[in-house]
Amino acid sequence: MRPPLLAPTRRIFELALGEMLWARRTVFMAAAAGAPVLLAIVTRLALENGSSVLIINGGRVDSEAMFGTAISALYLRFIVPALGLFYGTSLIADEVEDKTITYLFTRPIARGAIVLGKYLAYLLCVISVVLPSVALVFMVMVPFRDMGVLFRALVGDLGLITLGLAAYGAVFLWAGVSFKRPLVAGLVFIFGWEQIALTLPGSLRHLTIAYYLQAATVSVTSLIVMIIAAVFVAMRTIERREYVLEQ
Amino acid sequence: MIVATDHLSKWYGHVSGLNDVTVALPDGITGLLGPNGAGKSTFMKVVTGQLRPSAGTVRVFGEPIWGNPSQYQRLGFCPEQDAFYEHMTGLEWVAALARLHGMEEASAVAAARRALEKVDLLDVADRKIGAYSRGMRQRVKLAQAIAHDPQLLILDEPLSGMDPIMRRRTIRLIKEWGGAGKSVVVSSHILHEIEAMTANIVLIHNGRIVAEGDVHQIRALIDEHPHRVSIRAGDPRALARRLFVDDDITSLRFEDGAVIVETPRPDAFYSRLTEIAASGEAGAIEEVTSPDDNLQAVFNYLVKP
Amino acid sequence: MPIHDQGYRHYAGERALRRRAWWVIARAGIMERLRERRFLGLLLFSWSLFLMRAVQLYLGTTIAQASFLAPTEETFHQFLNQQRIFVFFITIYAGAGLIANDRQSNALQIYLSKPITRHEYIAGKLLTLAAFLVAVTWLPAMLLLLLQVLFSGGVEFVSGHPRLIPAITLASFLQVSLAVMTMVALSSLSRSRRFVSMLYAGIVFFGAALDGVLRISTGNPAWALVSPQNTLAVVTDAVFGNASPSAVPVSVALVALGVLLGISIFILERRVRAVEVVG
Repeated sequence: MRPPLLAPTRRIFELALGEMLWARRTVFMAAAAGAPVLLAIVTRLALENGSSVLIINGGRVDSEAMFGTAISALYLRFIVPALGLFYGTSLIADEVEDKTITYLFTRPIARGAIVLGKYLAYLLCVISVVLPSVALVFMVMVPFRDMGVLFRALVGDLGLITLGLAAYGAVFLWAGVSFKRPLVAGLVFIFGWEQIALTLPGSLRHLTIAYYLQAATVSVTSLIVMIIAAVFVAMRTIERREYVLEQ
Repeated sequence: MIVATDHLSKWYGHVSGLNDVTVALPDGITGLLGPNGAGKSTFMKVVTGQLRPSAGTVRVFGEPIWGNPSQYQRLGFCPEQDAFYEHMTGLEWVAALARLHGMEEASAVAAARRALEKVDLLDVADRKIGAYSRGMRQRVKLAQAIAHDPQLLILDEPLSGMDPIMRRRTIRLIKEWGGAGKSVVVSSHILHEIEAMTANIVLIHNGRIVAEGDVHQIRALIDEHPHRVSIRAGDPRALARRLFVDDDITSLRFEDGAVIVETPRPDAFYSRLTEIAASGEAGAIEEVTSPDDNLQAVFNYLVKP
Repeated sequence: MPIHDQGYRHYAGERALRRRAWWVIARAGIMERLRERRFLGLLLFSWSLFLMRAVQLYLGTTIAQASFLAPTEETFHQFLNQQRIFVFFITIYAGAGLIANDRQSNALQIYLSKPITRHEYIAGKLLTLAAFLVAVTWLPAMLLLLLQVLFSGGVEFVSGHPRLIPAITLASFLQVSLAVMTMVALSSLSRSRRFVSMLYAGIVFFGAALDGVLRISTGNPAWALVSPQNTLAVVTDAVFGNASPSAVPVSVALVALGVLLGISIFILERRVRAVEVVG
């Protein structure tokens, strides 16, 4: 008989959330999410001063467009994958490295519940830090008169960023469960493979997460499938794998 | 039998951790004894489902342990490694792990308090584990193993890092658990600690079981090493002259007013010694001890080259 | 005496001067890393660009129709720039745990209880990483130069570009120094190798991303200074005599790099100690 999943997942979620919220690396996460806000303030001040103007294709780019640029260039191409990589890989790998995974493995709970609970805690944590940052950037960059008109776009961006955090987190969660040095592989994936594959013609770009997060090719279904598949495989992997802790 | 292995082997690549181990651990307290690197921790990790057997089977409570998390409801494990969630207090940590056994918050906290009280940590329960001393860390590890009142305790070097007073208390605690009907498998390479807890041992060396059972029975079976008996007498030389008459001793020497003899047939020898003492022909016999009817001797004879 | 003492014999050999301890630490670190097959694979892969360039040099030097492939100073400049990605990965792989692992296993106290100074310990750690980075920057670049001499059958190329050898050496030195000092300083901040890797990758990539966005939005090229990599690029461009696309003065870039190195030294001075006071 398979042990229950939901109740242990909830307990692991609560344990992991408490651990994550007060971890020193959450400060790092907040700094990563806070930098765009500072950036937005600097940019807005520069624009208000009239000291600088962004011209693309002969047309002056306004602050709403700059907000869109900030979302795609900074959040979706860097912050979201970086946070997914750094936190997704460390969810299980840190417990193994610190040798505390033994205490979780010797409880009457399915190992998959450990993975699922930690993943959900990660998701709540990053969303709580990143989405307010996006909202703040919006409020700084977009003039008050245009906020109502652009609100729907903001909601769409928030949803996209949430899916991005979930997708990268899920894929790197699986990497953290499966590999001994997932961080290096993840860096190669994000800053090597994804950058190259997106520029190459053909279907290689479909083998990236970034492709499905681009405005022109966004696919919520594909991202959700990716998330569910990655988490499921991570749960199965941890149940079958043995972890030899270094002495 | 609470733990049973059948031709159990475990390899790490080319390195053999356990080699064809077939052993059945009974209820009660069992000491798992062996030098460093013998395979004690590997054995415990396999028995607690941390590692998968490379060959053979392992059953706990009659069922396989690997991939069977429901078994952990009845099992408590105190690992060897010094690893904790350092930012949590002792109480928070033990309670959080107790909650993973299905306890509600209040019950988990109560269970954690009881466990911490048993290991003498209640007064520092609200201190962060990162600020605990080495001995406290060892005790809080014990606390998390007992908080859910398991039927079987597997303790890997539980006394490591403890001061002598705490060692004595912990040994007493382990004996209490054994007396309360729990089964305990405790590993150590410190012989007198195991001896203080139990006479039932499993001796492991180079990944193989060398001996198992009652330490005295094991000793009796080690024929190639004659038993050493020390006899303190009023007239040692008269005693020696008397003992030399029969052929059941292989050597005899004098030491600090005592006669030390070696005999391959201890039962026959003790019987003869009783007659000598009763007849008074060799003077008063004040004390008879057997310096090697103990775990150290068993260990030396079976393990050391 | 006919019967020899079989007991313990004290070491009766020479003891090296204390000042050699940094080499012992470096050598141990290098050998330990070289025993890992994955790392060896990464090192070998880091030479793949060298192979491609070697083929280019051969074709450009020996085949008249391929003379457009003939090298210039810029060839070597580009080569060093392209090696940056391998410098990044090797720095993370080999550098993140240099001091972090010692802190995690409480080995720092053991090291510093031996007759070595903190500076020797740090020097040993710096040299461990520097050795690998030099092996993927200066060494292949100089070998390419040597190959050019061999393929062309003369030293005209080298004598015609007298700045090249010092430029390669200086640019490699700056690239290696920046990576080594930053990474070893970060490694001393934490007990977790993974966290150190995250910090380093964050500084490198986040800095570059910030620079890009700030430059676009404000039009001010001085924002290159928030990115250590882009700041280094300003200096190496000047070393190779190229006009930098950035308008940041070289002296300012050098000062920025100096500040970064100074911060790294400060961190190492504060963090590498045998005793840690826990509040």
